[in-house]
Amino acid sequence: MVIALIISMIILVLMGMVPRALPIIAAATGELVDQNAGTLNLGVEGMMLLGTVVGFFTDFYTKSLLLAFLVAGIAGLLLSLLHAVAAISLKADQVVSGTAIWFIGWGLSGVIYRALFGNYLIPPTLSALPHLQLPILTSIPIVGPIIFGEDPVAYFILIMVVIVHYFLFHTQTGLNLRTVGEDPRTAEEMGVNPKRYRYGATMFGGFMAGIGGAYLTIAVTGTFYYDLTAGLGFIAVALIYFGKWKPFRSLLGCLIFGAVYVIFLVIQTYFQSIPYQFFAMWPYLAIVAILAGVAAKSGGPAALAKPYEKGE
Amino acid sequence: MRHITKAFPGTIANDQIDLDLFPREIHVIMGENGAGKTTLMNVLYGMYRPDSGEIYVDGKQAKIRSPVDAQALGIGMVFQHFSLIEVFTVLENFAIGRRGGKVRLNLSELKSRIEDAERGYGISVDLNRKVQQLSIAEKQKAEILKVLFMGARVLILDEPTSMLTPQETSALFKNLRAFTDKDKSVVLITHKLYEILEIADRVTVLRKGRVVLKSTRKELTPSLLAEATMGRSMATDDFSRDIVANKGTLSIKNLSVKGDRGEEAISSATFDVQRGEILGIAGIAGNGQKELVEAIVGLRKNQSGEIILEGDRITGRTVRQRMRLGLRYMPEDRKRRGVAIDLSLTYNAVLRDHWLAPFDHNYMLNFPAMREFAKKIISDFGVVCSSESSRADSLSGGNLQKFIVGRELLRTAQYIIAENPTAGLDMASTQYVRRTLIDHRNAGIGIILLSGDLDELIAMSDRIIVLYRGRTSNSVPRKDFDKLKIGALMLGQESQIAQEP
Repeated sequence: MVIALIISMIILVLMGMVPRALPIIAAATGELVDQNAGTLNLGVEGMMLLGTVVGFFTDFYTKSLLLAFLVAGIAGLLLSLLHAVAAISLKADQVVSGTAIWFIGWGLSGVIYRALFGNYLIPPTLSALPHLQLPILTSIPIVGPIIFGEDPVAYFILIMVVIVHYFLFHTQTGLNLRTVGEDPRTAEEMGVNPKRYRYGATMFGGFMAGIGGAYLTIAVTGTFYYDLTAGLGFIAVALIYFGKWKPFRSLLGCLIFGAVYVIFLVIQTYFQSIPYQFFAMWPYLAIVAILAGVAAKSGGPAALAKPYEKGE
Repeated sequence: MRHITKAFPGTIANDQIDLDLFPREIHVIMGENGAGKTTLMNVLYGMYRPDSGEIYVDGKQAKIRSPVDAQALGIGMVFQHFSLIEVFTVLENFAIGRRGGKVRLNLSELKSRIEDAERGYGISVDLNRKVQQLSIAEKQKAEILKVLFMGARVLILDEPTSMLTPQETSALFKNLRAFTDKDKSVVLITHKLYEILEIADRVTVLRKGRVVLKSTRKELTPSLLAEATMGRSMATDDFSRDIVANKGTLSIKNLSVKGDRGEEAISSATFDVQRGEILGIAGIAGNGQKELVEAIVGLRKNQSGEIILEGDRITGRTVRQRMRLGLRYMPEDRKRRGVAIDLSLTYNAVLRDHWLAPFDHNYMLNFPAMREFAKKIISDFGVVCSSESSRADSLSGGNLQKFIVGRELLRTAQYIIAENPTAGLDMASTQYVRRTLIDHRNAGIGIILLSGDLDELIAMSDRIIVLYRGRTSNSVPRKDFDKLKIGALMLGQESQIAQEP
């Protein structure tokens, strides 16, 4: 009886953690490229929030998934461009500029939603994403639905992790980009334009954060409410540190976070007399604990968050 | 280069400079700090654009707007801070910014081409190691090879020998000579006299942005060069040394200290320094100097062993308690450890002593006394600045160092730890700082001098010990100073010395 309960819980956690983790995986994978080029965008949270509302209304009105994710990604990209201009061209303090991006995205998401939908007592919802149905594979018990039963966007996000890894560590452009993140002056001497790389990387980070936000409304909740991300953007940044700026390691971190999140969601149902906020707090605390152990010793890109000034 | 002029706000760094480079020559550019050597080379390498003047390559006027343009013309530069990414392997460093290849990095093809180049130039570097694992001399070799591999015909080296041992320096010079035999030309920026006499085919001396001397090797003499660089003849390196009666001793006994990564950075170091002598500590950077100094000053805990200051165990004492006992410290990293860079000189003058009279007045800062003291440092030590209320970051490196030296020496001290006190200083300031330290030695102060410049240690020290991989050698007395033998100790080749008669 107890064993059966534990097994069913494990299955529940395994099935639930991937969708929970995916928005963070998308955002972290994008921001990881950004940071490898030496720019720190703490506004991931804001870009995700903008992605949630833009993804939501595009899907709501057009019923086109592709368009919804594309537009959400572009919205995140445009917001990140603001950060790029401030941080790269105007050499503003990146923590301050990133925080501003967070606030802008936060505010915009509320304003846009209110303007388009007003105040609903019962918020409008989206139809659920189609899930992959592969003959035989999906019907394998437990493992089947987890690995082969996700929606198409989930696979897109996961493939992006692989592509980013390949890009960073196995291509000429990736090597150039990491050089910019380590020492832009050396990069320039070797004929690599640091500005161009940093703009590109920041925009990619914005795009992926937008996708991550859209995934949260469209695939996870199916509806929009204010401050939907609840700090997931910051978790994404934290998990980049956990992952030591490597895509697969930060993917692992995201999955662990997703698992812890779902575990407490399940536990919460057993203790209904305790306020749910008590349980909701633990995944975040877990991140703090993990970071305290891991991040203290990890060295990131040497030129991270340092603006590059030419000799003149 | 013809009539090159480059001005920065407040100064003209290069004023109508002409410079010719011929194939197969080693051309030395010499001058004090701020004479404009580095600026001139940065103009040639495309880091700066000149305000006026032209550059001709093979008789044709060249437009050099960026390092990439310079490289395309065959001009390569080896900076003092190398253009290598520490966390990449040497091979990856060669691959940065390559064009025309496929999307995928093809490192093995690149590797075989680099190995061909290594054979051609007679230098070898371990391509698979990360740059951070290389010694300074190895990094330099990697950088030179990289620049040559990128097609340089003119190789510019900025102060290439400042961190090398004598053995490494002569190996470098041999390599440079080999390059000129292969139709390359080499430009060396330096301020070390003896190197110039050893290797230069021609010399150009700059002073205050102008060319003051052009000469070939045959015509050169040390005094001619010194006069040209400083505008007067150089003071001699022979300092008068009084014999000082021993008044006390600072002893280090079996000191072990851990480094930042938990490794044993100093193991059982044992030595002492008496008041009235200069103990030189030689060693290649990274052999435990930083940890040793921090442990003595009180910035780093030691694992075992004792530090005894005139019979008083200070091992567990705080920095301030040690200071009160007369231990003073001139840090190597002046901008981060020596001063609070955003504060005025008035504040910086009392960074160590603000809690003592006369600067402390009933728990309030006594500004008139502080200003008075700052002014005294400035006038006694010839610090060039607009006033005592200038911010520390408005001073040049040399002047900042003079200010720090003054601050440490004008208050009562019994022992001074000086870490590379003349690094980056021009000849006049170097001479001044050395002279001052010797004067304080003669006045009965014990000085521990750590320096990457072996010539400096030999000129100044009464005894020298060598730090190699965290271990201290026996001390070598002044009468036995030998550059090559100390150099061998710095490379850990103790056995070789033992074999010699």
